[in-house]
Amino acid sequence: MIDKIEAIKQEIEQFNIDSEETLEEFRLRFLSRKGKIQAMFGMMGDVPNEQKAAVGKAMNEVKNLAQSTFDQAKEELASAQKKTFGALDDISLPVEPAYTGSFHPLTQALNQIKEIFLRLGFNIADGPELEDDFHNFTALNFPKDHPARDMQDTFFVRKSDDENTDDLVLRTHTSPVQIRLMKEQAPPVRSIMPGRVYRNEAVTAKSYFQFNQVEGLYVDEKVTLGELIETLVMFSKLMYGSDVKYRVRPSFFPFTEPSMEMDIWWENEKGGQWLEILGAGMVDPNVFEAVGIDPEKYTGYAFGMGVDRIAMLRYGIDDIRLLYDNDIRFLQQFES
Amino acid sequence: MKISYNWLKQYINTEISADEAADKLTLLGLEVEEVEEIGSDFEGFVIGEVLDVRSHPNADKLVLCDVNTGDETLQIICGAKNVAAGQKVPVATVGSTLPAPMDDGSYLTIKKAKLRGEKSNGMICSEVELGLGDDHTGIMVMDSSLKPGMPLKEALNAEKDTVFEIGLTPNRPDAACHIGVARDLSSVVEESLKTPYKSVPEPKKSLDDEISISIIDSDKCHRYVGLIVDNVEVKESPEWLKQRLISIGLRPINNVVDVTNYVLHEIGQPLHAFDYELVGGKKIVVQSFDEDKKFTTLDSIERTVPAGSLFICDGNGPVAIAGVMGGENSEVTEKTTKILIESAWFEPSSIRKTSKSLALQTDSSYRFERGIDPTMQLKAAWRAAELIAELSGGTIFEGYVDEHPIKHEPQAVPLRVARVNHLLGTNLDEQRVVSILGKLEFEVESDSNGILQCTVPPFRPDITREVDLIEEVGRVFDYNNIPRPDTAPFITPDPLSDAEVFHERMRSLAKSLGYKEISTNSLLSKKEAGLLADEKLHVHTLNPVSQENTTLRTHLAGGFMKAVHYNLNRNATNLRFFEIGHVFRKSDDSTWIEGVQEHVCLMLGLCGSKKRTDWRGEAEPYTIFDLKSDLEAVLDDLGISDRITRETAGNHMLKYQLEGNEIATLRIAHEEWLKGFDLEQDAFVAEVDLTLLDKLGAEKRDITYQPVAKFPTFEFDAAFTVEQTVRTGDLTREIKHTAGEILKDVSVFDVYEGENLGKNKKSIAFRLTFLDSNKTLNIKDVEPVVQKVVQKLEKTFGAKLRS
Repeated sequence: MIDKIEAIKQEIEQFNIDSEETLEEFRLRFLSRKGKIQAMFGMMGDVPNEQKAAVGKAMNEVKNLAQSTFDQAKEELASAQKKTFGALDDISLPVEPAYTGSFHPLTQALNQIKEIFLRLGFNIADGPELEDDFHNFTALNFPKDHPARDMQDTFFVRKSDDENTDDLVLRTHTSPVQIRLMKEQAPPVRSIMPGRVYRNEAVTAKSYFQFNQVEGLYVDEKVTLGELIETLVMFSKLMYGSDVKYRVRPSFFPFTEPSMEMDIWWENEKGGQWLEILGAGMVDPNVFEAVGIDPEKYTGYAFGMGVDRIAMLRYGIDDIRLLYDNDIRFLQQFES
Repeated sequence: MKISYNWLKQYINTEISADEAADKLTLLGLEVEEVEEIGSDFEGFVIGEVLDVRSHPNADKLVLCDVNTGDETLQIICGAKNVAAGQKVPVATVGSTLPAPMDDGSYLTIKKAKLRGEKSNGMICSEVELGLGDDHTGIMVMDSSLKPGMPLKEALNAEKDTVFEIGLTPNRPDAACHIGVARDLSSVVEESLKTPYKSVPEPKKSLDDEISISIIDSDKCHRYVGLIVDNVEVKESPEWLKQRLISIGLRPINNVVDVTNYVLHEIGQPLHAFDYELVGGKKIVVQSFDEDKKFTTLDSIERTVPAGSLFICDGNGPVAIAGVMGGENSEVTEKTTKILIESAWFEPSSIRKTSKSLALQTDSSYRFERGIDPTMQLKAAWRAAELIAELSGGTIFEGYVDEHPIKHEPQAVPLRVARVNHLLGTNLDEQRVVSILGKLEFEVESDSNGILQCTVPPFRPDITREVDLIEEVGRVFDYNNIPRPDTAPFITPDPLSDAEVFHERMRSLAKSLGYKEISTNSLLSKKEAGLLADEKLHVHTLNPVSQENTTLRTHLAGGFMKAVHYNLNRNATNLRFFEIGHVFRKSDDSTWIEGVQEHVCLMLGLCGSKKRTDWRGEAEPYTIFDLKSDLEAVLDDLGISDRITRETAGNHMLKYQLEGNEIATLRIAHEEWLKGFDLEQDAFVAEVDLTLLDKLGAEKRDITYQPVAKFPTFEFDAAFTVEQTVRTGDLTREIKHTAGEILKDVSVFDVYEGENLGKNKKSIAFRLTFLDSNKTLNIKDVEPVVQKVVQKLEKTFGAKLRS
């Protein structure tokens, strides 16, 4: 009997398991219900009583051997991939980061501005970049031959001496959208108007012939300058932090009266300085008249800011040309 | 505009510092953009008398000087060659600091020193060290009559000053002078304004024998005052006058010209002084001409002055361009002994036109075109005449001419206090409002209806309406003091516009497809614009900033190509860009402005390789199909993919049409573009017309859940051999059309060309995916459909089924 057991043991030891198939074959031959181990234990009845202990021990050893051989082989097969670990499996090999999409810093700054004004209940309106003189100047209370027109160097697309043909210009500000909006919609109006604008200025680190503005307009029955200032303060706090230091001071725009500008205190190495961040004011009665709104009944405020300037301030960009060069090494810095 | 604070303080008695004054002016609306300190008080600097000069025992280049500084005699070591006994020199005493910085930018403070064993108790200064000039060849030698110990400040008549650069807004012509600025300041520092402008005595004599003045174009010249000063000695101005002018950046010329400039910057009335002897025919005629005139201004430049410009003429012709600049032919020189002072009021827009067309802005034209005080002409001329007489030893003719065809009528503007508070959100009472306006020299009277009738001072042409007065009250009250509501009310917002939502959705989609947003110029060169579209579509600017930027873009592709060029030159390899922006085309299909189509487009562009060569393998250059796949993703996102017709236009372009409208294009940059934009690599660009899609309502996709298919799809592969010229897109369209609803998808899994197919043949292998929402399909269901497709393709395209 012991010989038979020994023979099974040898058979187990010599069995070569190198695949799922041979593993299964092994299991069927030794460990299954009809396998050799089970058959072996079936022969226990034939064993004389005095040998039963020794034979039983030997049989158990063989059974354990078969089980452990099976388990070990199974595990080895499962981790066979580890065995084929090669040069290209080195997880520490470097790769390029995946190319990701990104928004231009101007878009990012604008999105932040939009988000704030959406919270403050403003809608968003738009209009053309190619405008007529009426919308860009006349309706906004820029009289012809008035020095106020010098404040904005204008690109002309059509210049006409004929009074019935309006000059065409590239809009110098987003304010004409105010005019379009007020002509279209009876008060109350509460909207911001982002967009690209143009000034005939040489390209330098500080100036470019195109840039972006966001204009805001609120017209209703009892809008006050105090409310305007409060709105601007809310904007500044949301944009620059609730501890922002600010001031408003009188200024001049043909389309608002009174007019003002807002400065915020900007810390720098030299201590700090006041930086102008926006212009604003109460809609001039002449503007209301140009769009057929009764200036006695309605009042309103308007404000405008330069997105390029805000983006430059925010990201520490010192040359406006960078915004339009589209250097990928620049754009990559604004992934978010 | 520069304002000297010392000068300003001549008219207002205030102790506040220059910085405080600058802040107050800024908060009044006269924005001080820069504060600059100039000059020096020369504290600790005195006049010294050199008593003795001895050689230094231990140094060849140095001498020992005994210098009498009034109270004591100091030994000072000096290195200058020109020092000599008996000289009066500026001495910096111990403890004083030199006003001019040293080479390293720091300031030297004088200490007791020992140089090579000898004591030195001060420093004898050169002009350079005092910041007074460029002469550094030796010490400054001063007037010998000066007393030792006299403060240098007195000897030089020097003073420290602060100069404000004010960014003057065009509505404030009144503040374009020192008195005007002082007036604003006086309104907030509770000090009254003192001005040297007084009523001029009635003329004792007529000037008729001396000069005749006539105004022909009285609509352009409302007033012309002439005064004559005789026995004038034209010479250098005294120090105080030169200093005033230098402080605001003007170059002193001579006492006559300097006085006219002084008065201009004091009260804002431009003046002109003619050499009387050079005024032909003893007459002045103010007139314009119907033709262009050539005229040489006193800067010796011959200018062509356009017809309609106003001139000051004498008996022979023009002697000055009115309000802009005088002529060389009547200029005051050292030989001049008798002068005619002009003080006039010219119509602003006339001066502005002339000044603009000549591209010549002067201190005079700047003020005239904004509108000066129409009541100041005689007073200002008189002030100038008195000063000139005083400084030049001249005598004023006791008479004047005051041609005044159009007189200024004071305007009263009504103001309701309630309206002030309504607009500003304040709670000011009448007294406060009246007090503020009073400080700005408005005469305010309350009428029987309780309305304030405010007479506008003549120097404020900008104030014509109630709202203008409200601004005056607001700015003096200080906007920062206006009470702000605790809450800012707002109206029920409307939903965002479809266009806004759509554009932002597209922006996010482009980003999520891995594109980086660029922002390119709307203005291209003519040549670049010509590559993108026919010149007939171009919209040009009439006054381009440069030839590089003349024409509005008709497509966003140009900006992309330029950005690619820029980046390839800087060794970038993977360019995956998008932009959303306006494009402009001449068209009858106007968007906003008649004759111009202005649409918002989305551009997607690829160039270079999506992956560089690395250990994983070779670089993978982008192909048009990478871009096509992204463009299809956009259309898919819009939910219009199935409704789009895709038309090839040559080998480089695929047009996407929706209901007959070209809503997108996909292009391979062809040879001409690559050459035109100077690229040596393939580039691919797609443009989607968002405005058009918005118009077609294509973007309004209401998403409603559709149950996913319960039954499996059935796939059938079929390869066809066709002529090379047959487009796969056409085959696909025909397959879809023929198979009908049951066919869910057609894809191409193999494209093959080879000898065995025959000449100019190719094989396209399609995988057709069928789906029935009611049952599991099997080959029996599909076979008849496939048969139909095979027959149709054979008939239409001569396609042969291969498998």
